[in-house]
Amino acid sequence: MLIQINDVYKIYGEGLESEVRALDGVTLSIDRGEFVAIVGQSGSGKSTMMNVLGCLDIPTRGDYFLDGTNVRELTDKELSHIRNRQIGFIFQQYNLIQNLNVLENVELPLIYQGINADDRHDMAMEALERVGLAGRVKHRPAEMSGGQQQRVAIARAIATHPPIIMADEPTGALDSHTGHEVLQFLQQLNREGTTVILITHDNGIAATAPRCVRLQDGKIVEDREQEVDWL
Amino acid sequence: MNIRQAFKMAFRSILGNKGRSVLTMLGIIIGIASVMTIVSTINGMNQQSLKQFEAMGTNKITVSAQRYDGQDVFQDLYDYCLQLSDYVEGVTPNSTLWNVNVVYGTKSSKAMEKNQENMGNSDGMSGTDVELPPNMYLGSDQYAVCNNFQIEKGRDLSFLDIQKYNQVCVLGAQAARNFFGYADPVGQTMSVNGYPFTVVGVYREKDPDSQWSQDNIIVFPYTMSRILSPGETFSEFSVKARSAEAAVEATSRISGYLTGLMGQNQEKGYFWVDSNNQWQNSYNEQATMMSVVLGGIAAISLLVGGIGIMNIMLVTVTERTREIGIRRAIGAERSSIVTQFLIEAAMLCGIGGIIGIAFGTLATRLAGRLLIQIDIWPSVTITLGAFALSVALGVLFGIYPAAKASKLQPVEALRAE
Repeated sequence: MLIQINDVYKIYGEGLESEVRALDGVTLSIDRGEFVAIVGQSGSGKSTMMNVLGCLDIPTRGDYFLDGTNVRELTDKELSHIRNRQIGFIFQQYNLIQNLNVLENVELPLIYQGINADDRHDMAMEALERVGLAGRVKHRPAEMSGGQQQRVAIARAIATHPPIIMADEPTGALDSHTGHEVLQFLQQLNREGTTVILITHDNGIAATAPRCVRLQDGKIVEDREQEVDWL
Repeated sequence: MNIRQAFKMAFRSILGNKGRSVLTMLGIIIGIASVMTIVSTINGMNQQSLKQFEAMGTNKITVSAQRYDGQDVFQDLYDYCLQLSDYVEGVTPNSTLWNVNVVYGTKSSKAMEKNQENMGNSDGMSGTDVELPPNMYLGSDQYAVCNNFQIEKGRDLSFLDIQKYNQVCVLGAQAARNFFGYADPVGQTMSVNGYPFTVVGVYREKDPDSQWSQDNIIVFPYTMSRILSPGETFSEFSVKARSAEAAVEATSRISGYLTGLMGQNQEKGYFWVDSNNQWQNSYNEQATMMSVVLGGIAAISLLVGGIGIMNIMLVTVTERTREIGIRRAIGAERSSIVTQFLIEAAMLCGIGGIIGIAFGTLATRLAGRLLIQIDIWPSVTITLGAFALSVALGVLFGIYPAAKASKLQPVEALRAE
């Protein structure tokens, strides 16, 4: 099992009257090579789920095993390493650094890995070629369309060849055509063996995933496998 | 993340916000420039005064001593100083001759004295052209050593001149000009109170700019006192020590020796021993005091500049919370974030420091010209020190914002707009 969470809670303001249970006793396991959509209304806890799975946040209670390691016991530095090497993030708002150009944005995770300048350049260029942006490496994010920016973000996520891709509403800010391209790209990555976790509120998008986990009020209310045309 | 990358990132971030970077640096620029100007100018002044002290003769000990029984002290002092040769380089009487008329051709010291008196009457005579009468001294063969003179032409007084009562003299450069113009005085004979004296040498000029200079002198062997100031005993002496430390030692030993000679309560005679290093020391104390006060004021301006840097870095951290979140999400460790912001602050201050050094150098040269009329360049030590100081300020005032930036939780930082 690649990802295993057992009875995980994320509670804000615990014990107060205004206590919010963003995750309320969730148990879930995801195998290597799966494509899982986590779907739910806003406020259902799906973003919290992604933060916990992505090691950006620590659950209030419950254990999270990533590739056999209990994440709860890791130091901040070790968590940074996991985010850097195991997980590639794709966000709704792209989250590119505005004062760096396209190439530098894609190189950033490689810099934190300590890879030397030549290899770094080659790896970043390879990722940018895959998303079809090798010709625009000197542009700033602000000079590009939303779809192009999201492709830069995808290039940044895949530059380190991580085993897991986590995408939080990756199509949310895009028109349907560009959104479709992004989805196809994620499917392509999954066919190559990458585990993809896709967070969305859109049932139509969730329907394209072979496995769909539905969250409501911090609890899993549905976890089903479904037939898809692209596999 | 390696350091080179961190520097590149910091540089890019500074360039990305030019206006704000320059405003932030302003405090450091002004602070560094003023510290540098103050320290360099005071340094220059100290060096200039050191030169003046050196011209007077550094490590010179002035001894006044006289026995009430009229017996001469010099021979005793001379013999004692020979025993102190580890500390003492030379000893000479420093006795001024009065009522002596030196004549060469149409020039005479008496006439020059008249000129000097007329100058006081301000009857339209221009002071600068007036030849002033030379100061005349009786000295030993070590007079030059003790008073920091060097021979330019001819030779110095010798031990034999003293021993054999030779009727010779050595001229200071100004006195040589006054009596001989451009002619060579060496070998010429001057009439001193009617006695013929041969000029054997001329001292090199020490203080060319001053009319009342130390160069307007004539020195005779002290044994000539028997014809130039009969019956007079010597009471003023100069002792030249080998170093500042030796001067301290020699001063106390000579005092001890003279106490023995004159008696505990100076009942057999009086004496007084003084090293001109003491004057120099008191000058140095004043100069140090001045540097401390002015340096303190400049340090306050640096402090204000540093707080400005801290302020801006804190604003930067808040503004860039999301960027910090992104970096943390894709794998930046806390230490990478700390390094990034520290280097950015240090670089901001370092660049400010370099600009400050440029202005400081300019201001130092200007201050040197206008205030003390000398050419000062800030020393390498001061320049490097100023740069190191500015970088250190950046690190010091960057630590808090950098720590604050690194403490942000990735998930919270990502949520920021």
